[in-house]
Amino acid sequence: MAKSDDCIHILQGLLVFGNVIIGMCGIALTAECIYFVSNPPGLYPLLKATENSDISAAAWIGIFVGLALFALSILGIIGVIKASRTLLTVYIILMLITFAFEMASCITAATHRDSLTPELFLKQMLERYQKSEPANNSDSGVTKTWDELMLQNHCCGVQGPSDWQEYTSAFRLTHSDADYPWPRACCVLDAQGLPVNLDGCKLGVPGYYNSNGCYDVISGPVNTYAWGVAWFGFAILCWTFCVLLGTMFYWSGIDY
Amino acid sequence: STMLPLLLLLLPAAHAIDQLGYRPALTEDPKLEGLRTASTFVLDQPRCVFQDYGNAVIWLVVALDQAVPTFNNTAGPGTPETAFQAFPDPVRAYMTLNTTLGSYPCPKPDGDITVLRVGSESSCARDERRPTCNGPLPGPGPYRVKFLALEGSVPVAETRWSLPIMLREAKSTNSISTAGSGHSADMIAITTILSILFAILLAALVAMLFFWGSDSCGSSSSFSKPESVTVRRYNTHHVYDQPAARL
Repeated sequence: MAKSDDCIHILQGLLVFGNVIIGMCGIALTAECIYFVSNPPGLYPLLKATENSDISAAAWIGIFVGLALFALSILGIIGVIKASRTLLTVYIILMLITFAFEMASCITAATHRDSLTPELFLKQMLERYQKSEPANNSDSGVTKTWDELMLQNHCCGVQGPSDWQEYTSAFRLTHSDADYPWPRACCVLDAQGLPVNLDGCKLGVPGYYNSNGCYDVISGPVNTYAWGVAWFGFAILCWTFCVLLGTMFYWSGIDY
Repeated sequence: STMLPLLLLLLPAAHAIDQLGYRPALTEDPKLEGLRTASTFVLDQPRCVFQDYGNAVIWLVVALDQAVPTFNNTAGPGTPETAFQAFPDPVRAYMTLNTTLGSYPCPKPDGDITVLRVGSESSCARDERRPTCNGPLPGPGPYRVKFLALEGSVPVAETRWSLPIMLREAKSTNSISTAGSGHSADMIAITTILSILFAILLAALVAMLFFWGSDSCGSSSSFSKPESVTVRRYNTHHVYDQPAARL
């Protein structure tokens, strides 16, 4: 009897510990998702323009899941200490529902991240950058974002300046190929914002224009944003899985 | 009597154009991103080619590939027959980028980039008063170029015709497929593992509820709530000493 008492206490201790971790992770998940929602990466206009807001939907779900996890972990601790079958049943069922929501959020974030290919940004840039009659705010947002991106990171286009040569674009409609093989933002600029050597830039002489593409710079923050939501949620769910299995085992051992 | 044939031989020679072995070519060094765009291309300057013709004006002839065999060297530059504004129809070859030998000093200083950008003057492309405009080319080509040295209006030397030059053609953005190349390994891993975990939990939940009410499945570690055991024990002996609260 004493031995199984010890086992019981160890199991209770483990479950309480597990629930404490879940509670803390829930708070962390809520905080992280609130950060992402209120402080979107600087490239947010580009993401918004892709008309697919799944990543921010995943972040919103993450906020509520985090709070639910925290509340349920408290319920779980009480249920384990009191060894109450009712409380633990409620806990397990609600935890499963939360698990399902968080699972949906992780998968959504990961899938949306996969859809943000270079081709998507390329098409968006070609169709909207410097569009002469911006249909709505998102077009001018795209132009502004690309200008800042190219100026601050000394890059040009998605894969390189040849993007502007290989494809037709809204930019090409208003800027002739002879004068603007690529936008001025692709030139190396001096302190006043004028090209150091305009002819060198138009010719494409190394040193007077930016030859690398901006995709690496774009994909960095987007990856952080998506994987922050997806992988952290995945880790929490793995831990929750273990705690739930332990709780079910504990539940089945409670005498009624 | 031998004088006449000799004179006859000399006369055409006096009007023959020197055929220089130089063939104009696209610039290979340094590597230029804008070597060929949709309406311009970049040639090497003809350095150290026209050294013997210090008095001549060197012109660039740009012709459609099909017009090369019929080009007449005596066609004067700046005439309606060679005006850029009428290129490519009806004018099949135009002349532009005139300069004296002084602009092409020989030898070329090391480190200097000596190129000619054909098609860079967009301001005079429609200006009929500038028939020798170096305007943007109207189509992808193919084009062939050669240099022609004129003294006054008399051609004195020419280079060979270049190889055909094709310009770049821009594709429509509709050809960019944004369908995505499938799912990354990360996403598949997350989905698979989470689905398996969720399925296990559901199965455990079903098993758990199925055995609700029955004693724990024969495991010897079943235990009772510690407090209720204590209460039960005390209840049998000291009923009135216990608080009414039941767990």
